[in-house]
Amino acid sequence: MSIVQVSGEGQRRTFDGSQVQSIAEQVFSAMIDDDPSALVLWAGVFPALDDPLEAWVDLTGPWTGRVALTTERATAHDLSRALLGMSPDEPVDDGDVVDAFGEVANVVGGNVKTLLTEVGRLGLPQVAPSAPPMAGNVLHELRMAWRGRPLNIVVTAAE
Amino acid sequence: MRALVIDDSRTMRRIVTRILEPLGFEVAEAADGQQALDLLVGGLEVDLACVDWNMPVMDGLTFVTQVRANREWRGITLMMVTTESEQGQIVRALAAGAHEYLVKPFTPLEFEEKLALLGLLPVGGAR
Repeated sequence: MSIVQVSGEGQRRTFDGSQVQSIAEQVFSAMIDDDPSALVLWAGVFPALDDPLEAWVDLTGPWTGRVALTTERATAHDLSRALLGMSPDEPVDDGDVVDAFGEVANVVGGNVKTLLTEVGRLGLPQVAPSAPPMAGNVLHELRMAWRGRPLNIVVTAAE
Repeated sequence: MRALVIDDSRTMRRIVTRILEPLGFEVAEAADGQQALDLLVGGLEVDLACVDWNMPVMDGLTFVTQVRANREWRGITLMMVTTESEQGQIVRALAAGAHEYLVKPFTPLEFEEKLALLGLLPVGGAR
């Protein structure tokens, strides 16, 4: 569990990293899987991701930072199919994957924002093999398994 | 019943449409507030608008304000469907004229419960 003080202009909050896990579980349970056990903490050594895809939203305002989800491209495709209610063998195009994976980041990020700031602004979601670097400190990193496949969630506070 | 789903994410538009259509709604979609306003100005008549907050071109709060400023559209029920969950944002949206507020993520059942609160579940539409 990570509990840190975060501060912006005129406000100071306690950020409890364990709440990020709770948010991720709620998002996946409500939007993707009826089964809450589909998303669990990763057990053991977290593997290097093969052909990674990252979805992120930036938060600006009194508190500035980023919430990013990273997984393998193949997993992002399956995640998108699940979110869109498609069958596992149905083809999903890259545009759908960018939109769907980005929306997952948007909903996770929007809810994480409530832990950090009252009045910050949530940027539009972006998806790429990797996000542009952000100078700052990792507030919380959550290594999870979605349907047994690696999914990393990182909350970064900008310097 | 007719609904207009306004969200820059076509994934979210599909999810909401997938909830609304089995309930008997005819659904139109718009990718931002301006596109939605253009549809209304063009004569689209809807009973319900489901409005995301953060969108490019025109955000959901501006859309709600614009709709409420036009007496011709006073019959449209406005429901914000957004990740903006801070109390202050909810108050702002309701003050601008939104009737209901649903925070993402939501389940289909939670969505239907909001429609029921608004009196918008068509007869035989509830599960």
